[in-house]
Amino acid sequence: MNRDEADREISAAIRDHADYHAAPASLVSDIMSALPAVPEEAPRRPRWQYWLAQTAAMASVAVVTWAATMGYLRPGEDDRLATEILASHVRATLGKRLYDVASSDQHTVKPWLSARLAYSPPVSDLSTQGFELLGARLDHVSGQQVAVLVYKRRQHIVETYVWPARARTAAVSLKRDGFNIEHFAAGEMDFWLVSDLNRNELGDFARLLAQQATSL
Amino acid sequence: MSPEPLPPVYYRRLADRRARFEQLVLPHMDAAYNLARWLTRNDQDARDVVQDAVLRAFRFLDGLRGEAKPWLLTLVRNSCMSWLKANRPSELVAMDPDSAELQRVEHQTPETLALNALDRRLLNEALAALPACFREALILREMEDLAYKDIARITDVPIGTVMSRLARGRRLLADSMRAISRASTARVRE
Repeated sequence: MNRDEADREISAAIRDHADYHAAPASLVSDIMSALPAVPEEAPRRPRWQYWLAQTAAMASVAVVTWAATMGYLRPGEDDRLATEILASHVRATLGKRLYDVASSDQHTVKPWLSARLAYSPPVSDLSTQGFELLGARLDHVSGQQVAVLVYKRRQHIVETYVWPARARTAAVSLKRDGFNIEHFAAGEMDFWLVSDLNRNELGDFARLLAQQATSL
Repeated sequence: MSPEPLPPVYYRRLADRRARFEQLVLPHMDAAYNLARWLTRNDQDARDVVQDAVLRAFRFLDGLRGEAKPWLLTLVRNSCMSWLKANRPSELVAMDPDSAELQRVEHQTPETLALNALDRRLLNEALAALPACFREALILREMEDLAYKDIARITDVPIGTVMSRLARGRRLLADSMRAISRASTARVRE
């Protein structure tokens, strides 16, 4: 037997046969209880404050995110939608296809739309308020099929784009290329109104629709 | 007499440090106790030494860089040395590997060691009787599987010294086992 082999054997002997003294459980618990403890009544407050601080920090992040969404993303999204809806409105009024179903009867228009969409948009009869229902058509806005209700006020066409609300959105009122555009959410639906009608009357119309949609 | 209320940041730091302690130090409690037990050769003394070292580990936890195990074992080993100096100063003489007694046993050849007949008691006795500097190197290398550089750091000697102490320690252990074995055989014959 040479020295290296003897060394290996003695190494193996220590590894395999020498006593390994594991720490007694009581020693570990003694040490844990000897650690500087947080006083009885004191830890609650700091911990409570800690969580309060955490919650406040998270809340402020949420507020900033929300503000950023509202301040930047939402108007960006609104802007894009307004452009798209205006384009759609202009195409419809210039072309021949203003509506697919011609009826002043809400009980004809609503089932017609429900049969063709995954949702049933509210259809209001506002003829007594001076808004005559002409009919409805289907259109495409941001990749989805939407209901477009066509109303008439004197000689002005008022289009109402309706789809289920996806997120809480702020009301929007803007003017573009001589058209007025109103956006609001009511009764779980997003409404976009576009018309060459003056701003005040379009605003009135928006309020009437919102009332009807919420009361349905 | 109630203590002054401490600022909340103190409790937060304390809670953080406790969590870090549980994560980094507690997993090595067995290694800490094993080293202390082999160096003090006594359960109660090992407890005291480990408790002292681990509480210091908690206090200095912010200073921990790198691996926790060699760091903790350095503290344990230092506690052991302080304890030995205070309680059994004679054992520290054996820390000097150049003492004449060691030179005398070293030139024996290992081939007569009957490792087949090895029994635990014999090995444990021989290991416990080994001078502390060889004992600690062997415990850290063979039982804790530490790298030479970690053992060098813990025992505060150069890596070359660690390697030579390991080699000499193994041979001393083999010699000593053979001696114990011969002595007990002789007793049986009588």
